[in-house]
Amino acid sequence: MTESVLDFDRVAIHLGGREILSPTSLSVRRGEFVCVIGPSGCGKTTLLRAAAGFVAPSAGRVSRHGQPINGPTREVAFVFQDYGRALLPWRTVEANVSLALEAAKVSPADRPARIARVLATVGLGAHAHKFPAQLSGGMQQRVQIARCLAQEPELMLMDEPFGALDAMTRESLQDELARLVREQGLTVVFVTHDLEEALYLGDRVIALRANPTSDKPSLAALIDVPLPLPRDQLSTKEHPEFLRLRRALYQYLGHT
Amino acid sequence: MAINFRPFVFPAVLLGALEWWARTTGKGSDALAPPSAAVRAFGGALADGSLLAATGFTLGSAALGLLIGALGGLGLGTLLGLSRRAARLASLSVEVARPVPSVALIPLAMLVFGFGLRMEISVVAFACLWPMLVLTQAAVLQVEPRLLEVAHALQLSPLARFTKIVGPAIVPRLFVALRLCVAIALVVAVTVEIAANPHGMGYALIIAQQSLDPALMLAWLAWIGGVGFAINAAALALQRYVARRMGAEGAA
Repeated sequence: MTESVLDFDRVAIHLGGREILSPTSLSVRRGEFVCVIGPSGCGKTTLLRAAAGFVAPSAGRVSRHGQPINGPTREVAFVFQDYGRALLPWRTVEANVSLALEAAKVSPADRPARIARVLATVGLGAHAHKFPAQLSGGMQQRVQIARCLAQEPELMLMDEPFGALDAMTRESLQDELARLVREQGLTVVFVTHDLEEALYLGDRVIALRANPTSDKPSLAALIDVPLPLPRDQLSTKEHPEFLRLRRALYQYLGHT
Repeated sequence: MAINFRPFVFPAVLLGALEWWARTTGKGSDALAPPSAAVRAFGGALADGSLLAATGFTLGSAALGLLIGALGGLGLGTLLGLSRRAARLASLSVEVARPVPSVALIPLAMLVFGFGLRMEISVVAFACLWPMLVLTQAAVLQVEPRLLEVAHALQLSPLARFTKIVGPAIVPRLFVALRLCVAIALVVAVTVEIAANPHGMGYALIIAQQSLDPALMLAWLAWIGGVGFAINAAALALQRYVARRMGAEGAA
């Protein structure tokens, strides 16, 4: 069995006196792409923030390689949904990526080559000297992804990264992310509210439900996605298995 | 490039009317002089060097007072913005001291420093300290929380968090505060000179009035207005330049 990178052991989270996440156990293995879906307010972002160490669980244990986590680490990269706010507007694209290297105390001499490499990976090589405000939303999100790649993280946590983008841009970024994950062997936990996005990208999909009760816990379903790789927008989304899983997930989320 | 003359029509009509009135009905008035006489008086003040000396004194003390007050406000405001505890401890003192009219400090400043540069600087610095402090504190508190999370996720040290995130994030707002303080510094410096300090443009203005020389008084008034306008325009241009440089295109 492959080594697990992230473990949730009966993790429950209460915020403001309300139970956001009822006790949930799951683990993410190295090289796996796990999607978390669910309706608004089901705690999927909270789960991701707990995995990042931004919030501490109210009960249970979040651990990486068996060690409980107590705060963020550079081994874990976090991609925020609101790319416009997560970038430094006064820094150029390359200087934004450089922030991750500065944080990791990479020597100034080694930075340019590493920045050029990650910018090329996300297709921003020609825009290194532009400011975020000069880029489209999709390109700004690529900058954020590039900054996270520059961290050379072991685990990438993505909070609805394509949720604010138009449909065309979202699909092309999905394909690019899938390619990156394949090429670099990344481990990803990807939060989304889009069923098709979850099935298209994920090796596994975790479905959460809102307002958990004792007989209906947060974890509604854990589904393996045995769709062949590489996937593409047309044939994968017409695959009978894709349609079957989509229907099953829809029922889990809509009528359970 | 064609210059648009329309904004100048109204002031020109007003000056013309004043000139006509002062030469006819108001001849010999102790309050108003024809603008042409003010221009002659201005030429005289320029020629005998009093204009430049007084302007230099006022601008110099306003600038030094601004520098001291703004730096103090910047430091204290940053501290109060970063530390909730410091803000709680200081809030009463700030709220009590801030509304004290700066010119009410002139008697105290005179007793401590006597007449001259230091007394004027101290009053200007007091006047500039508070707006700078309050605006800096607000700017630090308004730094995009997402950026602080990015700093957290990247585990930046407290120093790096300040130099790489908080510092650059507040710069555009600091220049707005600085522009406000520039205007305050000039107003307070001239007020101190009119009220107490026997130096600078304000003193020259009040002396012209007391020696019943309305032409010279009007000349000084117009000059002070012109200097104020030029300084505010320069500060505004600087603020806009900084906002552009800090990547605010499209955002502001």
